Amino acid sequence: MKSALGEYLRKCRVEKQATDGNSFSLRQLAGRIGVEPSYLSKIERGLEPRPSEETTRALALELGEDPDVLLAMAGKVSGDLQEIIRKRPQLFAQLIREMKNLPDRAVLRVVREVRDGNW
Amino acid sequence: MIELKSNKLVVSFPELPFQPKLDIDLQRTLRIPDDGKDYPLPPGLGSFPLRHIDDFARRVPESWLKRGGVLLPMWQAEALWVNFNSHYVASRWTAYPFAVKVATGKINAITGEAWRRGLSRNPQDYVVVPEQPWLDGYCVEKGIIRQFVAMPLGQGYSAEEQLTGEAEFGGMQIEVFPMKPEVFEKRFPEREGLIFRDRSSVLKCAVLPEGMGLAPGGRMRQGIYDDPYSIHDWDTEHSSRCFIHLVNSAAWKAIAGTRPPSKPPTASQYTNAGYPWFDYYDAEQKAVGGSKILDALKSVAEMGKQKGAPLPDNESVAITNLVNLRAHLQANQVRESDFSQ
Repeated sequence: MKSALGEYLRKCRVEKQATDGNSFSLRQLAGRIGVEPSYLSKIERGLEPRPSEETTRALALELGEDPDVLLAMAGKVSGDLQEIIRKRPQLFAQLIREMKNLPDRAVLRVVREVRDGNW
Repeated sequence: MIELKSNKLVVSFPELPFQPKLDIDLQRTLRIPDDGKDYPLPPGLGSFPLRHIDDFARRVPESWLKRGGVLLPMWQAEALWVNFNSHYVASRWTAYPFAVKVATGKINAITGEAWRRGLSRNPQDYVVVPEQPWLDGYCVEKGIIRQFVAMPLGQGYSAEEQLTGEAEFGGMQIEVFPMKPEVFEKRFPEREGLIFRDRSSVLKCAVLPEGMGLAPGGRMRQGIYDDPYSIHDWDTEHSSRCFIHLVNSAAWKAIAGTRPPSKPPTASQYTNAGYPWFDYYDAEQKAVGGSKILDALKSVAEMGKQKGAPLPDNESVAITNLVNLRAHLQANQVRESDFSQ
């Protein structure tokens, strides 16, 4: 069974291995994120399509990928985002629904910027 | 626009083609001895915490608030370096180029001149990223900088006070200009093939502490590279800037409610433990000359001697563990150590 996440992770790891050497072998990477090489291999082959959030985050950190993107590929939403929504469910549900079709540029306008002042 | 993410200033220009993006973080490090000798690069000990000043509006002076920006805690006589990371544009095989101006107390760290708008080429008053991966201090000679060291404002140590006689701004100011997208397109034509990943971006930001300013510390081997592009390649119509207020770490908890990072190890503790120092050379780049204005400043140790307040932990060190970093940093080229305390 193919999985978008598994294929993508494998591609990232193999690219890293090509430039950074054996530290990105299946065995060494698995060791660093605290899983068995066979388990990481299963994730890459799509046999474990939904690794835990913790494992996904550890992989994102090692591979230099965005954890939110990898979590989305695993069909998950980051726990901290779930917590934010649970605290103010109506407000954030409304916000997200209203923004769902906005172009990226318009969404970016509502992110918090570092305020510049007079100096 | 500038966002604050995981203690990084993320400067981005989503309105421009290629959506240029530059991460800037301020790295904790040890203070190199201020003894007239030239030292290699000290390690990065992790990012300083950064906070939106508006989150602590009630606990900071009104004069800080009007400048906006972010807060950062530093111990007296602690050093920092500025780390630049421009995001990679995969289709062009390169990190997007930016021109970055850095000032302390509104004194330009490359030229020693007062802060002004835009960019100047002669003398060059900015660094070019990604060619310049980091900036550790004031450009005092060709290939030599004096480390940024935090000292309380009002005591006369800071570059600002030595040059203007006033302790008005303090802190650090950073301003970022992206390369014009049409110039980028022409200089870096589309390429196909392997995709490598890297990080980098552009920011215009100012770091200024009231209470703390930055002063010239020990001498370090670090070239400030000459702009390999044309001054007209930079997009001065688009820039972002931010003011970084330096808060004395002793007061950080009262303002931010969290503990500041611990004091970094001294140069001799670090060196005696066998941890590495770093050298970085890029044979393709030409270094700019130093600023006579900045070179004429008194270093923290010289000023302390004059005041009868010698700089503590300033013993010279003999470095045996020196790591040479190749130019054009690769993913595994880190300037960091796992030293922790």
